[in-house]
Amino acid sequence: MKADDPDIHWVEEPKLGLAGKMYLPLFVQGLTTTARHLVSRKVTVSFPDERPKIGNPLIYRGVHRLNKDEQDRVKCVACFLCATACPAHCIDIVAAESPWPDREKYPAHFAIDELRCIYCGMCEEACPVDAIELTSFCDLTGRSREEMVFDKEKLLSVYDQTKDSEPMRSASMGASSGRATT
Amino acid sequence: MDSTTSFLVALVKIAVLVGFLMTAAAYLVLLERWIAAWVQDRKGPNRVGLPLTGLRLFGLGQPLADGLKFVFKEEFVPKHVDWWLYTLAPVVLLGAALAAFAVIPFGDALPELGITAVDSVDSYLQLIVAPQVDVGMLYVFALSSMAVYGVILGGWSSNNKYGYLGALRSSAQMIAYELPLGLGILGVVLMTGSLQIDEIVAHQATTGYWNVFAQPLAFVVFVVAAFAEAARLPFDLPECEQELIGGYHTEYSGMRLILFLIGEFMHMITASVLITLLFLGGWHFWGLTSGPVENWFDAIVRIVILLGKSFAVVVFFMLVRWSWPRFRFDQLMSLAWKVMLPLGMVNLAVVAVLREPMFANYLGGGSMFVFMLINVAVAAVAWIVTALLQPLAADNRPRRAENLA
Amino acid sequence: MATVIINGQELELDDDERLNGIQAAARLGYDIPHYCWHPGLSVVASCRMCLVETGRRDPESGEISMMPKLVPGCQTPATDGTVFVTESDKVKQARAQVEEGLLINHPIDCPICDKAGECRLQDYYFEHGQGSRRADLRPFTSRRRSLGDTVTLFVDRCVMCSRCVRFTREITGTGELYVEGRGAGEEIDVFPGFPLANKMAGNVVDLCPVGALGDKDFLYSQRVWFMKSHDGVCAGCSTGCSITIDENQDRVYRLRPRENPHINEWWMCDEGRYGYHHVHSEHRLAGPQQFDAEARQYVNADWSRLPTELDKKFTAIAKRWPGSVAGVLSPHLSVEEAYLLAKYLRGVDPEATLVLGPVPVEGEDESFPQGFTIRAEKCPNRRGVEAVLEYFTGRVATFDDLLPDVAAGKLHAIWVSGGYRNDWIDEATAESFDAADLLVVQDLFDSPLMQRAHYQLPAAAFAERDGSYVNVADRLQSFRWAIRPPMGVRTEGSLLWQMSAMPGMYRAGEVLAEIAREIGYFSAAVEEIPAVGVDLKVNLLV
Repeated sequence: MKADDPDIHWVEEPKLGLAGKMYLPLFVQGLTTTARHLVSRKVTVSFPDERPKIGNPLIYRGVHRLNKDEQDRVKCVACFLCATACPAHCIDIVAAESPWPDREKYPAHFAIDELRCIYCGMCEEACPVDAIELTSFCDLTGRSREEMVFDKEKLLSVYDQTKDSEPMRSASMGASSGRATT
Repeated sequence: MDSTTSFLVALVKIAVLVGFLMTAAAYLVLLERWIAAWVQDRKGPNRVGLPLTGLRLFGLGQPLADGLKFVFKEEFVPKHVDWWLYTLAPVVLLGAALAAFAVIPFGDALPELGITAVDSVDSYLQLIVAPQVDVGMLYVFALSSMAVYGVILGGWSSNNKYGYLGALRSSAQMIAYELPLGLGILGVVLMTGSLQIDEIVAHQATTGYWNVFAQPLAFVVFVVAAFAEAARLPFDLPECEQELIGGYHTEYSGMRLILFLIGEFMHMITASVLITLLFLGGWHFWGLTSGPVENWFDAIVRIVILLGKSFAVVVFFMLVRWSWPRFRFDQLMSLAWKVMLPLGMVNLAVVAVLREPMFANYLGGGSMFVFMLINVAVAAVAWIVTALLQPLAADNRPRRAENLA
Repeated sequence: MATVIINGQELELDDDERLNGIQAAARLGYDIPHYCWHPGLSVVASCRMCLVETGRRDPESGEISMMPKLVPGCQTPATDGTVFVTESDKVKQARAQVEEGLLINHPIDCPICDKAGECRLQDYYFEHGQGSRRADLRPFTSRRRSLGDTVTLFVDRCVMCSRCVRFTREITGTGELYVEGRGAGEEIDVFPGFPLANKMAGNVVDLCPVGALGDKDFLYSQRVWFMKSHDGVCAGCSTGCSITIDENQDRVYRLRPRENPHINEWWMCDEGRYGYHHVHSEHRLAGPQQFDAEARQYVNADWSRLPTELDKKFTAIAKRWPGSVAGVLSPHLSVEEAYLLAKYLRGVDPEATLVLGPVPVEGEDESFPQGFTIRAEKCPNRRGVEAVLEYFTGRVATFDDLLPDVAAGKLHAIWVSGGYRNDWIDEATAESFDAADLLVVQDLFDSPLMQRAHYQLPAAAFAERDGSYVNVADRLQSFRWAIRPPMGVRTEGSLLWQMSAMPGMYRAGEVLAEIAREIGYFSAAVEEIPAVGVDLKVNLLV
């Protein structure tokens, strides 16, 4: 990018007044800000004793879940788009031909390494069938790394636990109803 | 005047002092973490309390846990280091920082105990390890300069680019800031007529005019230089994590590292106590401390005042850390040579000119007041002139007009 | 000399060149989208995607007269004075409309379609399609039915380009596929009882420009954008088709033919296409083993010590019994590896016996009407190894020539290179090797001979090695590795490179350059080998 590129938005720093040049007034101003924060209300909580307040659970990015369709089957069609979008490469899918006549492809194996995940929500964004969603579960603990790799059953059980408190975020795009994508 | 008693008294003083300083350093680390957390609107460490009891005590057990962690950490020595110097460096740093306290009083004196030692004045026990050292200030200076050897040895012997860069920055910084530091003190020394720190405090106590009021310019110069000497933000270039991943102690771990860290903290404590003693009146406070130490109350009030003032300065040090960003190295150098050095000289010149005519033989309140007024005026003028001249302005940013032209 | 004008630019064509509008435009860098046209198949101009404006320049006056309607670029020959306009608004509008028409019945199930990522419908839609879709989105699934053992048809995804139908009629001559129905009801199908079962059936999947035909072997196993493609050479038979190896994280997922007008054009046979499964077989030898004579069992050997250890033993035997060292050069070895092995053994023992390993032959050569041939010789490099043997020994001795000497105990140290996919030696033949003092076998799988080896060395598969193969028609093709060999396996090339005391890593190109200097047969390979290989016959006096 050259200096005369029209895309560059030039910002001129404001001219300093005498107070600014004298340094001390601004220093005192900064120190006041610091001191104010020293005594202001704290934003963190003492976690296990106090629970953090989750503003809107529908947009919170916690543990993933795999949604189910009307017939209680995994909604995922194993398109790998979440795995493609995932910047942490934490999603592992093995696709297979589905055992149901009205569905073509389904995930025979679907695992998310919750330790590797950075909870960015890109998988949710990428999913064309709204099968993967992030819930508001945030205290995620385990005793081994293996335990923290959530497989399909576990992710589906997260759905069962949260489906009432956090309904699916969009209408289904399955066999019956339709929605334009482009 | 029993030399054995004197020796024992000195030993006890050293033990009390070192024990106090080490504990203070440990708890100041906790304080630093608390202040860091509070300034960032966090709660800070508040979990570790008394072991095995479940009592949290606001996290006051944290220093103990930190210390234990450092003790039990693997003492890893990289293969490519010079083992002897590598081990010597933290010892030099901490040793120099501790030894400097030998001439720094931590109170006025204790009342009559029935012990008469070499250093007792009128059978009062002086609260200073080595009282009446005529070159007290020089001694402090010499040792604080020694500390930089620890830094340079550490950076050099760890055979690491970051460590070496940190050490080089440190030495350059030390050289630059020794001068304003010295100039800041020189005005005070010149006025008091003594290098003894207890004399300087006594002078402020008798006149009632703390040097921060009598010589504001010297105070500013000294405080800035002290920040730089202690390598605290905004002058922590020798060890900035973001650029040098820790600087000279990049390759250190375990006990060696904690020696370095305590040494660093000790520097800050030294600086705080010196600022208190030289400029903030030491143990003096108007109305509370008049005359010599008569009883235990007097003695303890003076200790508390001194400690309280020092503590306030330490908190100031910590607040500044979260208020100001780190200087760039060229700005750091410009500040030392273009601002602090001239300001220090101005202060020295004013004090030197005024001292003889105003109080050659007399330390009266009136002349002290005039002296203070002149100094405040000089400081204000000097400061405004400096602001207008803008010696630190280094405008090297690209601008649209220039680039389009 | 013919001059064609494309979008205002003039293109000179030789007199013997017969190009259509798409090919001529491609010369100047204009991509005309097309579905039904394929250079290897007849022209039907049915998809209407390549519609362009054409006209003619009058040779005398230089005046250009344009045709009023758009014509298919694939069907319009580029002759002297032909004018093509491929980027006008009219053409763009036509493309967008054709694309919209194709998508009316398309399920747009890209997320579950294996073609997504390399699909022409997708690519052209983004490049030439309309911004929004006017048709309703229909069910997210496509009807599917099996066309044969290897191919599944996703009926609704089809754009009726009929490439697959033409392939079975024109290339294989088997004609299993046909178009059933008319108009909007058209579907590809097979005749009842006659599934798509010819030996090149897999090509229809590559030909399909959309996701309508799926390869059952590859179906659902990988998304194409995860895979990396490497140029390779098929090691299935001595035709040596140029192929593309698609791999992800050291696992081969599919092989595709790579265009090479001198060998395989655009095709490959199913045997080669699915002939990569042995690479990931769990029966492959996992690491070098050494026979411990005292414990009477095999113990793990260490690759880092093996080269010096083997060298020491071969040298000792060659010193004690000169002329008693032998090497079996498998036709699965690359030219470079065969040369390094022969050179090494001859260096140890100048009288060393060198023979060609058994050449696996199955059935007869099988030719298709268009000329594509599947060879009976199921090894990639017999010609190359023979040429190396001729250079070192003056003749090509076969494995059978070696056996009497082995049985007689004349040979004390024998190096056998393998790389065979299936059983290649029987128990009786292998027994005669009991007489050898030192038997080194490097092979992919266990065999009776392997059970007698003093050193069992795992070999690399074709996708794991660097080197060159010479096919039955004396065409040499070089290739690089596509995947890394499994843990514990070292390629023959790198082992032999180290045993020959060469510095650094194995560099096949350097060895080939040396071969090209030393051996007359290979002299054409002295320069950089192009992607389509070099014909070694050009320098031979035959």
